[in-house]
Amino acid sequence: MILSVLSSPALVSGLMVARAKNPVHSVLFPILVFRDTSSLLLLLGLDFSAMIFPVVHIGAIAVSFLFVVMMFYIQIAEIHEEVLRYLPVSGIIGLIFWWEMFFILDNETIPLLPTQRNTTSLRYTVYAVKVRSWTNLETLGNLLYTYYSVWFLVPSTIFKALSWGVSLLK
Amino acid sequence: EFLIISSAIPILAFIIFEVLASIRNGLEKLSSYELSIEPMSGACLQFRISYYMFALVFVVFDVETVFLYPWAMSFNVLGVPIFIKAFIFVSILIVGSVYAWKKRGLEWS
Repeated sequence: MILSVLSSPALVSGLMVARAKNPVHSVLFPILVFRDTSSLLLLLGLDFSAMIFPVVHIGAIAVSFLFVVMMFYIQIAEIHEEVLRYLPVSGIIGLIFWWEMFFILDNETIPLLPTQRNTTSLRYTVYAVKVRSWTNLETLGNLLYTYYSVWFLVPSTIFKALSWGVSLLK
Repeated sequence: EFLIISSAIPILAFIIFEVLASIRNGLEKLSSYELSIEPMSGACLQFRISYYMFALVFVVFDVETVFLYPWAMSFNVLGVPIFIKAFIFVSILIVGSVYAWKKRGLEWS
């Protein structure tokens, strides 16, 4: 029930990003998406990721998008003159993405299609985890800086390029 | 069940919006407000780009902080090599920030 309550507004808000007439509304709808996604992550037990979504995605990224949209003087009437012209291409891209979701996600693990509920399925419980379990943050710290240390350093170079871009903009 | 509930919630939201807050815009309501005199221009003004640049710099340092939170939580078990990697991470970002600072990218005027 809670999953439906959180995921359906996220989907509709994502659709409204493209359908909103006002470009500022188009930037505000992703904020709803991020909020609902953060709540879904909380349901999954990923507390750190759920807290980071509002801080980074809403507080930094959505605000940057809002600045970009507000900087441009966009005539609202011009946007909706030929919206249906983009429907074939966007529809094909949407269908490809939809097909990819069904192709990649295993229906047994994440049921996308309605299936009969199997009440006799065996579940394997890892009891060792219940003795002393790491938090989400500790797990991330133990993996990100050891096995994935290169991927940890790559974003710093990207952000350095962003800082250079700031000086170039000036 | 999921499809029914997830379909009903947005439809309900739109119906409630239409019933309670239906928009009836007229020419006067859509025009910009200029202290009861006739509006001379539109309400959208282009603002300074300095705001956007500060927002970009905030993005950089915000994500840097996010990357440093797990490191702080696991600091006692990770050891010196990871400390050096984190130092390299922060120093790369500082180099970019100092460059932007020296090129006067963060100046307001």
